[in-house]
Amino acid sequence: MNRRPSPILEHGVVSAAGPMLVFSIYLLAAGHNQPGGGFAGGLVAGVIVVLAWAAGGPDTVRRIIPVRSSVLLGLGLVVATLTGFISLVVGGGFLESGYVERTLPLIGTVKVVSPLGFDIGVYLVVVGMSLGLVRALGGEPTEEEVGS
Amino acid sequence: MFLVLLIHAALALGVVAARSRLGRSSFAVGAFGPLSLLVWLITNGRSIADGIPHRETIGWVPSLDLVLDLRVDAYALVFLYVIAVAGICILLYAARYFGSDPKVGTFAGTMVLFGGAMVGLVAADHLLAMFLFWELTTITSYLLIGYSDQQESARSAALHAAMVTGGGGLALLAGMVMIGTESGTFTISEILANPPSGSAKMGIAWALVLIGAVTKSAQFPFHGWLPGAMAAPTPASAYLHSATMVKAGIFLVGRLAPAALMAATWWQPTVLSIGFVTMIIGGWQALRQNDLKLLLAYGTVSQLGFLFLLVGSGEAKLLYGGLALLVAHALFKATLFMVVGTIDHEAGTRDLRRLSGLRTSLPAVFWVAVLAAASMAALPLTFGFVAKEAAFDGLVKSGGGLVALASFASILTVVYTGRFLIGAFGRHHPGHEPATPLGPAPRNALVWAPIVLAAAAAVLGLVPGLVAPAIDAAVVASRATAKAGKLVLWPGLVPALGWSMVSLVIGSVLLWQNALVQRATDIVGSASRRLPSADGAFRRSVAGLLSFADRSSGLIQSGSLPRYIAIILLVAVFVPATALFRGGISGGSMPVGGLLEAILGLLIVGAAATLLFTTRRFAAVLLLGGVGYGVAGLFAVFGGPDLSLTQLLVETLVVALFALVLRYLPATFTPARFERTMRLVVAVAVAAFVFLGGLVAFSSRQAAPVSDRYVELSVPEAQGANVVNVILVDFRGFDTLGEITVLAIATLGVSGLVLPIVRSRRESP
Repeated sequence: MNRRPSPILEHGVVSAAGPMLVFSIYLLAAGHNQPGGGFAGGLVAGVIVVLAWAAGGPDTVRRIIPVRSSVLLGLGLVVATLTGFISLVVGGGFLESGYVERTLPLIGTVKVVSPLGFDIGVYLVVVGMSLGLVRALGGEPTEEEVGS
Repeated sequence: MFLVLLIHAALALGVVAARSRLGRSSFAVGAFGPLSLLVWLITNGRSIADGIPHRETIGWVPSLDLVLDLRVDAYALVFLYVIAVAGICILLYAARYFGSDPKVGTFAGTMVLFGGAMVGLVAADHLLAMFLFWELTTITSYLLIGYSDQQESARSAALHAAMVTGGGGLALLAGMVMIGTESGTFTISEILANPPSGSAKMGIAWALVLIGAVTKSAQFPFHGWLPGAMAAPTPASAYLHSATMVKAGIFLVGRLAPAALMAATWWQPTVLSIGFVTMIIGGWQALRQNDLKLLLAYGTVSQLGFLFLLVGSGEAKLLYGGLALLVAHALFKATLFMVVGTIDHEAGTRDLRRLSGLRTSLPAVFWVAVLAAASMAALPLTFGFVAKEAAFDGLVKSGGGLVALASFASILTVVYTGRFLIGAFGRHHPGHEPATPLGPAPRNALVWAPIVLAAAAAVLGLVPGLVAPAIDAAVVASRATAKAGKLVLWPGLVPALGWSMVSLVIGSVLLWQNALVQRATDIVGSASRRLPSADGAFRRSVAGLLSFADRSSGLIQSGSLPRYIAIILLVAVFVPATALFRGGISGGSMPVGGLLEAILGLLIVGAAATLLFTTRRFAAVLLLGGVGYGVAGLFAVFGGPDLSLTQLLVETLVVALFALVLRYLPATFTPARFERTMRLVVAVAVAAFVFLGGLVAFSSRQAAPVSDRYVELSVPEAQGANVVNVILVDFRGFDTLGEITVLAIATLGVSGLVLPIVRSRRESP
């Protein structure tokens, strides 16, 4: 980009990024019973990444998600695979689901299902993918490339 | 037995791991592998020879019905003894043969691994397990031949061997699978007890098996790799390429011949012809070699031909002599290879035109060589003679002039044996040329390892009764016949003795008139240079394969993305479309929708139609996004909020990423008219297929959809009310795991491809 990005746009995106990230995590957490899930949640985060890149370039992206894409990709795969193995250790098959139900003060009864861990892995991989693609494709083209 | 295999594997790994500390002593440590086999054979051999096969079964992949069935009968016992005895001697020899090259530890480990694979091959009672070990010997052989990986010749020789035997291995696998499925079992002993009857299919299967054996045992026309394999260090040549591995093919045909005979009438004549041709070509080529090792290699090809026809023909009376000869061959040929190795080690050359006077400087080696060579030429009182008498006796009884052919090949054997001895140890130009200079004569395993083998052969020659019971038992075990031959010091005045004597006498005369032989071989050699040779055929086929690969990948890998996509799409359409038309299109009913669907449909079609006429890339991307949003809307209308949400997000992200890439591309499309037409054809074909296929698929459902069951099980089984998510993370969790792995790899791939280009452009604008 030859011109400076608009500061208003940049500020707006950075302010909106927090709530949007919360929304993406809500989609991830709620996915088991309502529309959403790790994939959709991760995509919302991916849209944030694209917006941040468009508004302020790589530095703005780093301000919002200060992690490298390869770390997210690796972590996501590890989390997803480990979840599968945990059910194997507990006594079920690979990726077989189980759940824990607890009553917490103030919040009420919370049921945590094991696929949530798997979904977190999916979420991380999708966010890592968006970060990685934007970083790879979003480089500055040189003058003649823009015109050619 | 399984323990013996484990010991081999553990020793191989251990030797490689400790290679820097052990150095060339790795071989001595590795010798415990064959030693363990020998101990096992001594403790278990008696009951096996009495006719009770030793069996072991180890569950391997029980869910695939793959078990490691081991079964050692008296037939396998003969081979195992050869593997063990030759292995111990050659490994100890190798411990003195090599210098302090840091790579020798790896070499030693590979040799031990090979030994284990050979044991497994012989002991396996399951066709596929046997194949596994078979391939393992091919791979280890490749590594051993290519030991001197700095030399182009060694690398290409290793590749030649691997390609020929590996290609044969593929044929063997196909044949084994066909035989296994036809007989309903892969267990070798059960197949032999109840062989599949003859049919065209079984004929092909047995031909494939035969190809595997022919390549492995260096039979005509695939014998070219064995002389090339002499690029391997001599211990490997002695162990693999004379005593053991090349006998795997012979083991296989001997093992399966009874079943093959039941199904294929051509088996016996084919095996006999291949064996005789190999025998004569190998012997003839051996006459022309000046490199002692190559001379022995061609001699081995010749002997393998003889063994192949004796053991593979399926006749018990031939098998008898064949097994005796196999033992004799392993003993004398391994000895002679070690002798050549010692000469090479001491004199620095093995060219018989440059060696002279070694008889006086290496007396012990000379006498060992004489002993072994006498056995090779089948002089009376040697084990080679005893075995060859048994073989000739069988051939005489089979009739058909077979013995005359074998006798002719034996003349060649006598001549090349004489050339070997005279060339290596004789004093060629007395008075003119000094003897090849040597250091002090070695007094270690370089001398005594061949002595041990030669002495064993000498003892067996004088007292053949020591080995006769084992051969008897082996023939009984594999052919279920009574005694089929005999091993005796003096056969009496039988026809076989006459044939032996004829070949000995003619051979000796020819050796005396050596100049005559050389002239004959020269004439035939120069005449046959124009004939196709096995080596040339191999080289040409490799060159042809490479140019074919070049041309076909040039055709397929054009580097044009639109062409790739067109090919993928057309294949994806063509294959199911053919099935669709063959099955006949049974009219589908159009699904009906309401007003909302109609509006969304119009939106999609409108966006797509506009897309056709845009020339600006960015507009095209936005219109594509519009199509995607319309589809997302349809999902929402049909009650798939999850799909709809995901589709919306994906479209958004894709449009954004497209926009990033577009900055590198021209703003407008300018494709040629022809290309536009082609794209139109592809697009219409895909669209028509998807439309028709959707209609047909929609109306032709017969089974209950699997989704009903998912919906039913979602809450009770997976505690989730969102069935789409439950499918993704639970019911089809494995798929999702695969998908996110692909996602991660694709991201890394894009980064890896794009980032270096961007960086290099930035550095050099």
